[in-house]
Order: sequence, then C-alpha cells, then structure tokens
Amino acid sequence: MKIKLTSVYVDDQDKALRFYTEVLGFAKKADFSQGPFRWLTVASPEEPSGTELQLALNNNPAAKAYQQAIFQQSQPATMFYTDDVKGDYERITARGAVFTMPPTDVTGSTIAMLNDTCGNLIQLTQLARYSR
Amino acid sequence: MTDHAQYAPGPAGGAQVRKDGEKWTLILVRELRHSPEKVWQALTDPAHLREWAPFEVDGNLGTVGTTAKLTAVGAPTPQVTKTTVTRADAPKLLEYNWGAQDIRWQLEAYGGGTRLTLWHNIDRRFISMGAAGWHICFDVLDGVLSGTPIGRIVGREAMKFGWRRLNSEYAKQFGIETPNRPSQAAQES
Repeated sequence: MKIKLTSVYVDDQDKALRFYTEVLGFAKKADFSQGPFRWLTVASPEEPSGTELQLALNNNPAAKAYQQAIFQQSQPATMFYTDDVKGDYERITARGAVFTMPPTDVTGSTIAMLNDTCGNLIQLTQLARYSR
Repeated sequence: MTDHAQYAPGPAGGAQVRKDGEKWTLILVRELRHSPEKVWQALTDPAHLREWAPFEVDGNLGTVGTTAKLTAVGAPTPQVTKTTVTRADAPKLLEYNWGAQDIRWQLEAYGGGTRLTLWHNIDRRFISMGAAGWHICFDVLDGVLSGTPIGRIVGREAMKFGWRRLNSEYAKQFGIETPNRPSQAAQES
C-alpha cells in the first residue's frame, strides 16, 4: 500500500488548475472526464512521478460545510513540503497569491500559509535542519 | 457473436458538434435494427441500462417527473448525482440531467428499426472523450438488443478497447486538439 494521491476540494476546477500550476508551479498530470465528472490532478515538477494532488470539484454540501469550517478556523486543507519556504513565499507572492501567514518559525519547522482562492488554506512547511 | 475480449470499435462516425459560443453539444446518431419500443426500454429500464450505459439508475427513467439516483460506473471515485426526468414521450423523446449536463434522446422509426439520436452538452475540452465513450456504449447497446451481449465497457475498461483512437478520431473530426488525453498527460510529466 502506498500513498500516491491526495485531494483538495475546490470550488472551480479551471480556476484551481490555473492557481496550482501558474501560481504555485505544479504541473498538470491527468485531466479527463466521464459525463459531468472531471478527474484532474497535478504533480510537482520536482517529482513528476510522485504523489498527485487531485483538484476535486466541491459540489457536495457536507464537504462544503467542512471546508468552510476549517477555513474559518485557519486550518490548512493540505500541506506541501519545501526546501525553501522563504523563496517560495517571495515567488508565490510575486505571482499575486495572498499569504495569511508569512514564513514563521515554529517547533521543528518554518511554516507559511496561503489562500488558494478556491476555498482552502494551504500550508507550506520547511523542516528545520539541525547540525550536530 | 462478438466476444467481449475480441470487441474492437469501428472508425469514428455519426457524430457532430453544435457550437453555440462556449456551449457545445455533442450530437450522436446511431441506427439500430430494433423497434423504438425496444430501444426505449433499453434507455429507461434500470436493468437494461446496467447492461450498456456509463451510469446506473435506481429508478425507471420512463416517466416525466421521476427523480432517481444516477451513479457513474467506472469513475475513479464514486460519483453519484440525482437526476430528474424532464421529458418522457414514449417511445420518442426522453430528457433528463446528468449532474450539470443535459441528456436528450430521440427515437425515430426508420426502415424497420430505430434511428437513435443523443444530444449531450459536454464541455468542449472533453467532447471528443464523450463521443468516444458513447460510441463504445452504443456498440454494446446494439449487442444487448440483438441478444448477443458483449458486456458493458465503460470507464477505465474502455481504454482497453480503442477508446484512445476513437477520442483522437473524433477530436480531429470536431476540429479540436486533445491536450487532455491521460496518456499524453502522463507522458508530458
């Protein structure tokens, strides 16, 4: 058993694809449809065969209620790891995204939080490296 | 009689796209050697739909006003919507929705059989995929009606049966590119 895919709910898949590729810098991986359903995933260009992120249309009232509640509680819908959170912060801000938390040192890591404009907060995490 | 494993769809054909600005509608025509009454049953009866359609329903679609649970078959995650039958003039015209999309069937008596026309408003980026999927479903429907069923071929299963070729052929006929083919997407990365 492997973790190869995770999902975020988005309110608009076209808008989400633009944000996750043009602003965050991921690459489109799969995009096909059956009837009204669209299976859309992106992956990191640093790891093209790595874990995919499904951009799932949120047309589910239960999921919408959950998404809005955790957004209001400032809880991230998902988290991405980076080796350069400050660089990503500068790069992503320059492309117009809004961070709700700039890079901030916390226990064991530096974190930042941004609004994906599709209903979610996304956390970026850079693990601290300790020299012996 | 065609065996499931030996089935291969013929060339793309019988499809056109009506382009109304950004709103595109797929129009598919298939001639079947069976009466409109028989085809009507295959389009409305849940047990018949289960043999060929890309979705299952938990109620008969043959009566206007009927609402039923419509479940896509073979989708990567369970996809369930409610459908409402908005027109049902047996055995001539049937309309209902699939999520935000509209499905309209017209059945015309034709040379002892039926000329079946489907209107399906699919997003233009995916319209060739829809044409390819319905093409295979119609072949399977023909087998069901003829008493020589080859077994339902939907979702991922269709990939094994010439779906990619059909998708490319229909895209070419419709004058669109197919940047969204999963195989290409996988290769690009």
